[in-house]
Amino acid sequence: MAFFGPALVLLTIFLFIPMILTLIFSFTDFFALNPDITHFVGFENYSQLFHDEDFRQAFGNTVRFMLIIVPLQGLGALSLALLINKVTHCKKYFKVAFFVPVVMSLAVVSTLWIQIFSPEGILNSILGNFGIDPQPFINSASQALPSIAVMSSWQGMGYQMIIFLGGLQAINPALYEAAEMDHASGWKKFKDITLPELKPLCIFVFITITIGAFRMLVQPMIMTGGGPSHSTYTMVYDIYETGTVNWEIGLASTMSIVFAFFVMILTVIQTVVTKERGNKHADKKK
Amino acid sequence: MGFIELKHIGKKYANSDKNAVTDFNLEIEEKEFIAFVGPSGCGKSTTLRMIAGFEEITEGELYIDGVKMNEVAPRDRGISMVFQNYALYPHMTVEKNISYGLKNMKVPKDIIKKKVDWVIDILGLEEYRYRKPKNLSGGQRQRVALGRAIVKDQKVFLMDEPLSNLDAKLRVSMRNEISKLHRSLGSTTIYVTHDQVEAMTMADRIVIMKDGVVQQIGKPMDLYEHPQNKFVAGFIGSPQMNFYDVTVNGEEMTFADGSKMTLPKATAEKLASHKGELILGIRGEDIKFDSQNIDVYKQNSQQAVIENTEIMGNENNLYFQFGGAQTVARVSKYEVCQMGDRVEFVFMPHKMHFFDRETEMSI
Amino acid sequence: MLTKRNKIANWILVVVLIALSLFFLFPVIWMLANSFKTDAQITADMNTAAAFIPPVLNGSFFDNYISILTNTSFLRYMLNTLFYAAVLIVLGIIVNGLAGYALAKIKFPFRERWLLVIMLLMIVPMETIITIHFLFVAKLGLLNTVIGYILPMIVNPFNIFLFRQVFISLPDDIYEAAQLDYCSPIKYFFTMVLPMSKSVVATVSVFTFLNVWNDYLWPSLVFTSSDLLTAQIGLNAITANDNTTMGQTLAVITLITIPVIIIYSFFSKQIVEGVVSTGSKEG
Repeated sequence: MAFFGPALVLLTIFLFIPMILTLIFSFTDFFALNPDITHFVGFENYSQLFHDEDFRQAFGNTVRFMLIIVPLQGLGALSLALLINKVTHCKKYFKVAFFVPVVMSLAVVSTLWIQIFSPEGILNSILGNFGIDPQPFINSASQALPSIAVMSSWQGMGYQMIIFLGGLQAINPALYEAAEMDHASGWKKFKDITLPELKPLCIFVFITITIGAFRMLVQPMIMTGGGPSHSTYTMVYDIYETGTVNWEIGLASTMSIVFAFFVMILTVIQTVVTKERGNKHADKKK
Repeated sequence: MGFIELKHIGKKYANSDKNAVTDFNLEIEEKEFIAFVGPSGCGKSTTLRMIAGFEEITEGELYIDGVKMNEVAPRDRGISMVFQNYALYPHMTVEKNISYGLKNMKVPKDIIKKKVDWVIDILGLEEYRYRKPKNLSGGQRQRVALGRAIVKDQKVFLMDEPLSNLDAKLRVSMRNEISKLHRSLGSTTIYVTHDQVEAMTMADRIVIMKDGVVQQIGKPMDLYEHPQNKFVAGFIGSPQMNFYDVTVNGEEMTFADGSKMTLPKATAEKLASHKGELILGIRGEDIKFDSQNIDVYKQNSQQAVIENTEIMGNENNLYFQFGGAQTVARVSKYEVCQMGDRVEFVFMPHKMHFFDRETEMSI
Repeated sequence: MLTKRNKIANWILVVVLIALSLFFLFPVIWMLANSFKTDAQITADMNTAAAFIPPVLNGSFFDNYISILTNTSFLRYMLNTLFYAAVLIVLGIIVNGLAGYALAKIKFPFRERWLLVIMLLMIVPMETIITIHFLFVAKLGLLNTVIGYILPMIVNPFNIFLFRQVFISLPDDIYEAAQLDYCSPIKYFFTMVLPMSKSVVATVSVFTFLNVWNDYLWPSLVFTSSDLLTAQIGLNAITANDNTTMGQTLAVITLITIPVIIIYSFFSKQIVEGVVSTGSKEG
């Protein structure tokens, strides 16, 4: 127990108590700059959230962001992994090349892409060579969110690609040899062996990206400040501003609980899927 | 009073209703080499680990050198131990592995050096001194494990199946080496093994266990010649003793397949109080093929057809069916037999062991 | 075995992938090339292929880098971050390692329950409680202090679990042998358990470093004083300054990425294994 003690103390102070407080505060109007007038308000915060324009928009933005990044990053990573797995030369270079953006922090990537997305920036210059007019990208309410989504896919794709490559290498090569004996074509082999074998991993990766999308904050914080006109405002951004900028701890706690609810459901689904997959593999070994 | 005393030692695990070890009594003299032997799960390792202090003693008392040890921490019991998988510290060199305990005991540096040099010398580890365990062979690791135990000068040596991970040839030579070490160091040794050959060849006395219960304690030849029950008789000796269900009526003994033998008078008298259904045991080397020279009773000579032979070089094992059971006879290399040969044999009359069929105790 | 047709297809694939990778990396190539240029040069090159080519090597080649390192506190921010990372690696290994060891090898009341609690904590997103952390640190007057920044970051359920999974497979007989060698449990942990588990210690250290180096939200909440900033927050402060040129900005983000690249190239095996295993191991 002495060994567990230090961790237990820190867990209590920095995880258990904050979690309990978040839950309690979510039912109050706790305002950190004037804590004396705190009242218990029941579910008022929760119902208020449903009508809170900012929060609704933040939630909507998060979902829109998710709808772009999940297919883009997920399918992109899968395609890259399939191609790199096939290729016989420069494999190592490709792995490194597509992994490079992962090495860069979100703050770095955001700072870099502010330049790239700038109206006179390199991206518009490239597009100009193809005869496309300059785009406003992060400066327009309609393009800002998709732009950030594309950038985020670019940043994270290499990570998921490595996971998929690991999965592809784990497929028993005897399966392909057996299919070869059964006169399966390349497409058939892909459809009947690769895809089914990768399916659980796909689900895992897609949920991972979804969770990442829910947690998005740094990119809009650095690039757009949540704008233009709240078009890149996210749930975590709202929590951050409500709690640590406006000191409305009560309302921020309620948002935190709602946010945690979604993320934890996703994590549980992911864990269940991964577990099933692990069990399936264990069965196979028997 | 013995140097180590185990008084009614028992082990009961909380999650099991059966005892792992039951009422274990033993007195070990100073400098004695004791082997615990038995099939896996018989409680021999558990007993050793109770002596070492790694398992709690749930019943009875343990004394080492007159001091009750039940509640004493392992390191204060004056023991050292050689583990089955060696348990070498993987990130330390041979030298560091051996000296680690002395360093922790705050022994002065020059003495540590002297002792470590001595141990490395007698175990022939000089050229491996700065290697790590992963770069050593099984035999070398075994030596390091021994060295680590020896260097601390403890009075009691505990060894838990130390040779079980070595190949057969190395096992024989390490057996020899451990015996020699024991003689020169004179430490009291308790040696756990499932291999009866190791126990027979190394130990002063053997403790045979089964299902947590001591079956017999004695000198190797006592166990071989006078097993107290069928289990001991079967466990000690290779090939295994032959067993037959027999019915004894006076001097006449009838086998399950109807074969009959006449017993010597003395044997018949000894069996007189145990009527009828018995188990006969006879060792392979006590089945003789030169019948006329051994048994006075002509009719005791039996016949069988050899079904299988095991040629060992120095001697041969012959397998045949007799008395309703598979029988193995052990003959010298000069008695050549082939599969399918019909042979004539007798049981040496004074080498027959009888066991009660109910209790399986020796009669 | 490759047939002739497959060989040709393969070479086409190589060429396509090389083109794809160059397109994929254009922001990074542009960043590197232009981090050596003046803003006038960057603008001038923008519409030509020179945008992706570094300027000729001359006396002013490293000017952007030199001015960042000498005229701003950026070097200090990097050293700050290295220091925070070092402290958090050491404390994290001790606290989480000891807890993982306890959960793996030491019998204490409700051990299995605690393990479950740790696993449940792993699914709680940190963003949920960061407001409360901020409140705590602010109320304790620890804003703008190293302690306030470090304290909430030490304990980590993931690392506890990771340590536990590795320690549970350590053989018990080595602990028993060490006991006979007069080794106390705490000494055993530091002189045996950790050296025997170099791989997981390295993994946890690397991920702790990356986490500290790349973290944005928490340091941006705790630190406002310019002396204590981490590199990422410092980056923000420097780029927000109107005097900072585009070339200097690109130089800063290149500089900030260099330590991470070093870490990745030294520990790529551990990192890739760690990444792959998140997708393939259960739970």
